[in-house]
Amino acid sequence: MRALVFPAALLVALELWARTTGQGSDAIAPPSAAVLAFGGALMDGSLLEATAFTLGSAALGLLIGALGGLLLGTLLGLSRRAGQWGYLSVEVARPIPSVALIPLAMLVFGFGLRMEVSVVAFACLWPMLVLTQAAVLQVEPRLLEVARALQLSPLQRFAWIVGPAIVPRLFVALRLGVAIALVVAVTVEIAANPHGMGYAMMIAQQSLDPALMLAWLAWIGVVGYAINVGALALQRWVARRMGEQTA
Amino acid sequence: MNRLSTSMVALGNAAGSVLVLGAFIALWWAASTSGWVNRAFLPTPQATLASLVQGLAGGDLAAYTWATLSRMVTGWVLASALGISLGALIGSSVRAREWIAPTLEFIRPLPASAVMPLAIALFGLSGNMVLAVVAFGAMWPVLLATLHGLANVHTQLREVSRSLELGHFNFVLKIGLPNAMPDILAGMRLSLTVSLIVSVVGEMIASQAGLGQAILLAARSFQASDLFAGIVLLGALGFVSNVLLALAERRLLRWQRS
Amino acid sequence: MTPAADTVLHFDQVAITLGGRQILSPVDLSIRRGEFVCVIGPSGCGKTTLLRAAAGFVAPSGGSVQRQGKAITGPSREVAFVFQDYGRALLPWRTVQANVSLALEAAQVPAAERPGRIARVLQTVGLGAHADKFPAQLSGGMQQRVQIARCLAQQPDVMLMDEPFGALDAMTRETLQDELARLVREEGLTVMFVTHDLEEALYLGDRVIALRSNPTAALPSLAALIEVPLPQPRDQLSTKEHPEFLRLRRELYHYLGH
Repeated sequence: MRALVFPAALLVALELWARTTGQGSDAIAPPSAAVLAFGGALMDGSLLEATAFTLGSAALGLLIGALGGLLLGTLLGLSRRAGQWGYLSVEVARPIPSVALIPLAMLVFGFGLRMEVSVVAFACLWPMLVLTQAAVLQVEPRLLEVARALQLSPLQRFAWIVGPAIVPRLFVALRLGVAIALVVAVTVEIAANPHGMGYAMMIAQQSLDPALMLAWLAWIGVVGYAINVGALALQRWVARRMGEQTA
Repeated sequence: MNRLSTSMVALGNAAGSVLVLGAFIALWWAASTSGWVNRAFLPTPQATLASLVQGLAGGDLAAYTWATLSRMVTGWVLASALGISLGALIGSSVRAREWIAPTLEFIRPLPASAVMPLAIALFGLSGNMVLAVVAFGAMWPVLLATLHGLANVHTQLREVSRSLELGHFNFVLKIGLPNAMPDILAGMRLSLTVSLIVSVVGEMIASQAGLGQAILLAARSFQASDLFAGIVLLGALGFVSNVLLALAERRLLRWQRS
Repeated sequence: MTPAADTVLHFDQVAITLGGRQILSPVDLSIRRGEFVCVIGPSGCGKTTLLRAAAGFVAPSGGSVQRQGKAITGPSREVAFVFQDYGRALLPWRTVQANVSLALEAAQVPAAERPGRIARVLQTVGLGAHADKFPAQLSGGMQQRVQIARCLAQQPDVMLMDEPFGALDAMTRETLQDELARLVREEGLTVMFVTHDLEEALYLGDRVIALRSNPTAALPSLAALIEVPLPQPRDQLSTKEHPEFLRLRRELYHYLGH
């Protein structure tokens, strides 16, 4: 429990400071007030609604982006020529920061779910593509020789040999994708989309409610941490099941 | 394969790459020109190019690009300096690391932009607010990388340091931090990406002059070609900064290659 | 046993227990200035541990190691230590020259003096032409020479060597053995050399100490302490055919645990 000492000390310091010199500030609120605000948001349903929106759009965006990245990455990895011919196109599109697409998504979809999902999907596509391609390229060449020796069809080769071989690395990529999806979703909400946790936090700040703002900030942190821990556990479980050593 | 045919293959692949990209641009042209995709959402490549040239030559795009670039670089430099110093401070003491590292692991997944409302409350809607959030957000990859690198100094190097009676400060300076260099450079690369993203978001929210605000305004006034021109520039910023950093990394890490 | 006046290292009833197991039962040993003492024994006999006690990395559970009459409490610049794993004992991000310089920087030798001393030491080990190379660009034998050069730069009282040639191929090993022997003669160094190679021990040493594993009261750690009266300078061919060499080899053979 040593890990909790440092943050606990920080919270106590913040509590003391907020109640004395920081009183009446629009920016800082004592953690105790933030806890109360958190309880309030939980009670009136706004917490659940906003969290569900953010997580939902992140998950949907990740699904689309990961599937796309998986498909393209596999194709580019299996065929050396495809990989080399597609190189420039990927390198041109990849550096575009996902946030740059927020105004475009806004233009096309207006505000709401589709706009956020599309930005998240774009952000998740590229890392999944690159990592999947690398995973396919790193499949043990001997396994591919076995596939040739057994005269497997391309579909069989993928389903029985390449697919299972890359699964552990795919889950590593997925873990990264989960982190990206969540970060991008919250960022879209802070920048533009009037839905979800990011937006709730912005509104709290604009209504000069520092307690609620801090509550949302802490909650976003907790949700992000929990999801990352979960993704890591999943990744490790898959690695063990697929006979690979844990990362 | 002899050298001529290997170069021919490489050339062929490069040409193929250009061809595929060309094909995508042609597809873009066809989709927008024919109206298959609404031109309000997808401007033609020519219109995008025209906006780009016009904006850079006569308009404000060059100034906006420079503003975003300087914000990004300043924030990144600050973040790296802070990250390395704090990382060195915390990482040089095993005890400090044990107590503090778990908290840092909690902060790692937090979106950098999430502290923006707090920063707005503290600094108002200003350029400094954006810079502060950029520096704060971009600091973590470097800090965590420094910590990780310092923690992984091989026992043998520590014994060499003790044998030479190097002292703790010099150990961190001459052995610990250089040992962490590959990690730190990787962290700085990640930091640069975060820097660009947070700079753009900051410009959008705080109405600061830059590419972020420019594309937001373009979208609001349905100027699709201006919007796309801005996106192209942001992509270029991301690309060039990454390439430059990768080159610097190669130079700094040339001792790794035998 | 009171040490003689020109004793550099004195092991006074040094016993070491690690993890509940007695590695070394009390060992008495004196090393005189200019002596080359080799320590042999089977795996686990504690020969490396004995060396590390002299280096100050390990504290004896009983007795003490004394240098120039004073007990060793920790690592010191005057006791140079050459690790077997040369790859991990050198700083990969520093050139050969800068690696040697580390010893001088630690000793706070004025910057103006350093280049001269480094050049001299590199010349002595035959690395003058490679001063600006990185360790990754050097062969194993050359990397080990860099480590030896750094130790020489410390101008130590005694040089402790932990199976320094164990990771090298036979030919490189023989070359380095002859170079080390020449170096030691020219610089008048005092050396304590641990090896598992009996022939190497007899070839290099003025005296050879054999240790036993799992010491008991009846069979203590120190199994044998013999003089090696072979003519100097030694030669890879003639010395190894010398009848005294063969006799000593036969005598000590079974101490290696065969």
